[in-house]
Amino acid sequence: MKVTGTVWKFPQDDINTDQIRRSIYSHLPLKEQAKHCLETIDPEFPAKVSPGDILVGGKNFGCGSSRPAHLALMAMGIAAVVAESFGRLFFRNSISGGLLVTPCPGVVDFVNTGDRIEVDTAAGTVSNLTTGASMKCAPLPAFLREMVELGGEKPYLKARLARDAKAGAGA
Amino acid sequence: MSGMHALHKILIEHAHPKPATVTPGEFLEIEPDVFAVQIGTNAEYADRLESDLAELGVKTLPLKERMFVFLDHAAPAPTPGIAAGQKRWQQFFRSRGIPMTDAGAGISHLIMPERGVVVPGCVVALRDSHTPTMGAVGAFAASLAGGMLSLFALGRYWIDAPAVSLLRLEGKLGKGVFGRDVALHINGRLGQRGAQGKAVEFAGSFVRALSMDMRFTLCNMGTELGAMTSYVQPDRITLDWVKGRTKKPFKVRETDPGYQYDEVHEFNVSDLGPQVAAPHAPDNVKALGEVEGRAIDQAFLGSCASGRLEDIAVAATILKGRKVHPEVRFIVTPGSREVLKAATRLGYIEALHEANAIVTNANCGACPGLHGGILAPGDVAISCNTRNFVGRMGADAEVYLASPATVAASAVAGRIANPLSYL
Ligand code: SF4
Repeated sequence: MKVTGTVWKFPQDDINTDQIRRSIYSHLPLKEQAKHCLETIDPEFPAKVSPGDILVGGKNFGCGSSRPAHLALMAMGIAAVVAESFGRLFFRNSISGGLLVTPCPGVVDFVNTGDRIEVDTAAGTVSNLTTGASMKCAPLPAFLREMVELGGEKPYLKARLARDAKAGAGA
Repeated sequence: MSGMHALHKILIEHAHPKPATVTPGEFLEIEPDVFAVQIGTNAEYADRLESDLAELGVKTLPLKERMFVFLDHAAPAPTPGIAAGQKRWQQFFRSRGIPMTDAGAGISHLIMPERGVVVPGCVVALRDSHTPTMGAVGAFAASLAGGMLSLFALGRYWIDAPAVSLLRLEGKLGKGVFGRDVALHINGRLGQRGAQGKAVEFAGSFVRALSMDMRFTLCNMGTELGAMTSYVQPDRITLDWVKGRTKKPFKVRETDPGYQYDEVHEFNVSDLGPQVAAPHAPDNVKALGEVEGRAIDQAFLGSCASGRLEDIAVAATILKGRKVHPEVRFIVTPGSREVLKAATRLGYIEALHEANAIVTNANCGACPGLHGGILAPGDVAISCNTRNFVGRMGADAEVYLASPATVAASAVAGRIANPLSYL
């Protein structure tokens, strides 16, 4: 899967899901939640983002609570998150929800806010279209890649249930 | 070949298909014994789940008989918006005949082991990040995150087998120092990425002598190390605790001798004093002395980290014959109704009332910052909840994490205080 977009860099380590989207907004419609993403770090951020932009984060991005902060980022139009490393729950929630997330150690020094980048999960590369440089990141485990390629947990289950039904009918 | 960890054996037993062995990072398709869900606050998510299940053609939930639904965050609802969200979720489960706890039953992580639903050797699936708490009984208790829809639709989900780190704890605690201080010390030393994506096993002579209440506290704070799950090998103390609570058969799994842990960390708790995690991270840990005397507006005792009977007992001991400082709100939120009932029976709640503490119904309380003790901008709080992230309990407030004893002593003093002088 390939995604190209403009970078917003949050280089801090350990940005937690409460910072990505505070729990006091969790009952609001996603469109409303999207107006508050990462506001405790940069109050202007929600107003500056354009659909298709890519977030770049530090180590342990999305640590903390398992509440679905990724949905708010998606509602805001964020197309992918590339980080030095991810909190496990945010990472799994994002893959499940169809938000492209790629761990890429070294990415914080490789891109800057405003750069255009291309993330290719199959090849395991991040290309900085602004500087022309390209870097390797570890490809996702095969199982996760399949889910990502299909678009998340629901399309994955659809394919899986259809396969199971076919196998059942054939048996 | 270095053998397998008990957690891997538990996973394999619940896997489809069952591999002979596992390597860390390998994904297994797991059928859990228990699938727990917390009532959400957002109606939109319930609508989405409803339509996803319809789209996938799921009519009856495959794990229906193993489901437990909890109303623990923001319960009873503090705002019209949250009330509407919770109502929608309740309707989702009610229409499917799935029982739910009421708004006074308490926190999922306490209730399930308490009622013998989570037992040694079982796999419990729950999205909440503090699911590792239940690893204290020797269960595989990882937060599932992505995987909810699979559990609703397929009755299975995917878990990557974890690498396991050993945290070996030796020594005996001095007076005024408690299990929560040990947990904070570990959080400080290893940091928020100290066990990122791994499992942590707590072992050593200190853990062997530890009560179940404090084992839960240790396992709970594994989450703040970034751990996938926490684990304590069941022993006599575990089995005595579990046996009176469950009719379910269960199987204790042992780690193979010679198992190669990913990392081994040694701790000696004997010289440890009271610990505090200063704002705004659970690993920003200092000796209490460094922040002693800081004036506070609120003290909070509760949460899945420290809302158990032992925690309330020590607070009651400290408050007996004393009063909460007139400028401080001291809020005590028992972790479960069982805890509240026992604390009432034993006279702890009476002592807290006499001291002008505010005792609430059992739930998450102030911990997620949704009600029951929201902080005003500029407020300073001392709390034994799980996290002190920026904005967690109220915007522009400062939260210091500490043991229930330190919280109670500070509530009396009106400033961060050492419990030693109150015990
Ligand atoms: S007490 Fe706090 S950390 Fe525990 S489940 Fe509730 S909100 Fe989460």
